[in-house]
Amino acid sequence: MQNTTKLLAMLLALSVSLAAQGGSDTKGKFFFKKSCKACHAAGGSAKEITPLSKTQAQWKAYFAAGKHKKGAEKLDGVVKPEQIKDIQTFLTNHASDSPQPETCGG
Amino acid sequence: MGTTRMDRRFFLKTAGAAAGSAATVQVGCLTYFKKGRSASADRREVPTTCELCPNKCSAIAVVEGGLVKKLNPNPENPKSRDMLCARGNAAIKQVYDPDRLKQPMIRVGARGEGKWKPVSWDEAFDFAAKKLAEVKAKYGPEGTLWSSTEGFQEVFFKNLGLAFGSPNLVRHPTLCLASVNLAYSATFGTVPSFDLLNSRYVIMSGANRFESIITPDTMDLIGGVMERKAKLIYLDPRFTVTASKADEWYPVKPGTDLAFILAMIHVIIAENRHSKEFVAAYTTGFDQLVEHVKQYTPEWAERETEIPARDIIRIAREFSDAAPRSLYYAGRRSSWYQNDFQMRRAQAILNAIVGNWDQLGGMVPNAKLPKGEFLFMPWDEPKAPRVDEIDKHFPLAAKGDGVYLKLRENVLSGKPYPVKAWMVYKQDPMNAMPDQAKTLKMIEGMDFIAVIDVQMSDMAWYADVVFPESVYLERTDPVEVMPGIWPAVVYRQQVVKPIHDTKPNLEIVQGLAKRLGLSDYFDFTIEQWVDAEFKELPIPLAAEHMKKHGVWAASGQPSYGKTLTPDHRFVTKTGKIEIFSERLQEAGYDPLPVYSAPKQPPENRFRLILGRVGYFTHANQSNNVWLNEFMKENDLWINPKPAARMNIKDGSYVTVTSSVGAVKLRARVTEEIRPDCVFMLHGFGKKSKMQSLVYNVGASDAVLLETAWDQVSGNAAFHETFVNVATA
Repeated sequence: MQNTTKLLAMLLALSVSLAAQGGSDTKGKFFFKKSCKACHAAGGSAKEITPLSKTQAQWKAYFAAGKHKKGAEKLDGVVKPEQIKDIQTFLTNHASDSPQPETCGG
Repeated sequence: MGTTRMDRRFFLKTAGAAAGSAATVQVGCLTYFKKGRSASADRREVPTTCELCPNKCSAIAVVEGGLVKKLNPNPENPKSRDMLCARGNAAIKQVYDPDRLKQPMIRVGARGEGKWKPVSWDEAFDFAAKKLAEVKAKYGPEGTLWSSTEGFQEVFFKNLGLAFGSPNLVRHPTLCLASVNLAYSATFGTVPSFDLLNSRYVIMSGANRFESIITPDTMDLIGGVMERKAKLIYLDPRFTVTASKADEWYPVKPGTDLAFILAMIHVIIAENRHSKEFVAAYTTGFDQLVEHVKQYTPEWAERETEIPARDIIRIAREFSDAAPRSLYYAGRRSSWYQNDFQMRRAQAILNAIVGNWDQLGGMVPNAKLPKGEFLFMPWDEPKAPRVDEIDKHFPLAAKGDGVYLKLRENVLSGKPYPVKAWMVYKQDPMNAMPDQAKTLKMIEGMDFIAVIDVQMSDMAWYADVVFPESVYLERTDPVEVMPGIWPAVVYRQQVVKPIHDTKPNLEIVQGLAKRLGLSDYFDFTIEQWVDAEFKELPIPLAAEHMKKHGVWAASGQPSYGKTLTPDHRFVTKTGKIEIFSERLQEAGYDPLPVYSAPKQPPENRFRLILGRVGYFTHANQSNNVWLNEFMKENDLWINPKPAARMNIKDGSYVTVTSSVGAVKLRARVTEEIRPDCVFMLHGFGKKSKMQSLVYNVGASDAVLLETAWDQVSGNAAFHETFVNVATA
């Protein structure tokens, strides 16, 4: 019973957090690679960034602040505002403290 | 001494003389044979990547006269170590198999009756698209199920399912290794490799690595562990080839390996033999473990496992003495018991506390190599939840893979919603899933079934339309990074043109996509896809290199200890190696592995256990003519004691019955199995008449196996079925 309650609470928390992001993981990956990775890649003009670069909380804070280049400019000036939510979803889903069990192939 | 003694020198001398004299008369004959295998003008060598099993070994195909004559190993791949196994060699017979699918076909008789009409590709695509559209109109896109097994072209099939709008993609891991993957991911944030080449002390639970080939592990077991006389401890209810090569074999009571591991942890902690520095620097939850394992004494474990307590104590001491160059090997197919996840978690924890992480001869996080990625147009996320309710029942499992057996239960019940179309790529659920009768029931409930495969599997036999895929030697596929201690990038390129009216999976997907209005998502060629991947390989002239060599392996030198820095963050919730897992606790699971004794078979019944041999991994390999020569019919291993009791003779037919099915096959009466178990090989007793070598020959394990799964990962539990055996 206790376990069931815990499970329900966790699922509720999970669905709330996903609802808060509300973006598309697939589209987020696409926009991240297309926009962010143009500079933030290994050997690129800016520091390499992957979803693992931050924890879920750190990504949340980053997108809440909405700043780019250490605050020098607004994030929605660099990435289209309608794409930001998708990118946030992708990065949060694959953050360094996110559960991401490995699979086989695919 | 009336007999003539023939020593080696004498034999060589006489044989040489005989050959010399024979040569004069054999010239014409030799010339004849030379013609067939000379370095003729059209002889080509094409490097490619094997697809007969998931190892993805590098091969060099020798082509003469437009035919694949031979497959050689490619020494440049450090993972396959200049080896191509029997299965790999037999890939030639996949091309020239008279049983293979040669053109698209639409079913004209009843499902499973085997009446087919050969059709054009257009007809097959139009038919499938119409049926999919009908199901979508009636049940929504979530009313379609997309099943597949790993492979370089699997990505296109999965993407078609997602672009179509279905959340119901289900892959093979929960019929194979989901529990081991989840257990190591939950502990270390990743699934490491095991450095068998350099280890001094190896323990394997049922991982029959000498027969069930994994590269490079199988070769390293020979070249590393055996060569250096490192110690191999092996637990298995069966005396396998691996058991025969091990220093110590324990015919463990099935399902009790967890007790053995927990008792080892108990001894190591009680005797203060763990690595204090490593535990303090890199792990979390050790204090809870200390309290938790106090109950798991070696004497208790002896009663559970039938392994003597004095041996458990000695093995624990030897294991910790050899650390960090000691390891408890994870294994691959971990679909055994309902506690499988926790058994693998205990292994992971045992490895962690002796500090073998990222060490020579220990566990090593996989190194990766960079490659480019083709950016295809993204689609909207499927709106419906998954039919297997993975979030509710298996919140920690890999979402993209799904949970196969729970999915089948839900599809059969029609809850939470109906699923009425089943698309299958490179998979035979009829043999891969337990309880074939249930799978048949699921098939009966479908409005439409399409199968993409290279041969008429049992699943294809029950389909409405079959799309023949070109075999790997006829295809160019996406580039793949093979992570590992010795990582490599491998490339599969077309060796010969398709000899029948077949297509690579991408073109089959594109044919369907066009008719489903989804062409925009698949508007590229395989060459464009591969070029994008080549682009980010950090080597000059990458495309030329990969086409010429088929593989790129960076330096080929392993590196150890990269993650052993104070600022390294493991990909876990806490950033540490999680001995105690809060995430498991939050999800309602045991945060440390808790043992509960598995049910044992009642008197006169047996536990059915499974395993593999070096020449068959998947159900489809038994119909390969070269591999079939190794074994033409499977049999049932049974110990002489119960066999004598039941008057079962070696080679005689027996009937094997479980709660879900019955089969007939020959008995192999052998001391090489515990008296409470029976064993059979996978891949026989086919229903498809186009599997002519194994149609109705031997028996399929899937008929007997009951539905059971591991509680955390949802991985199928294949070793939980008890059977009756009787003379037939």
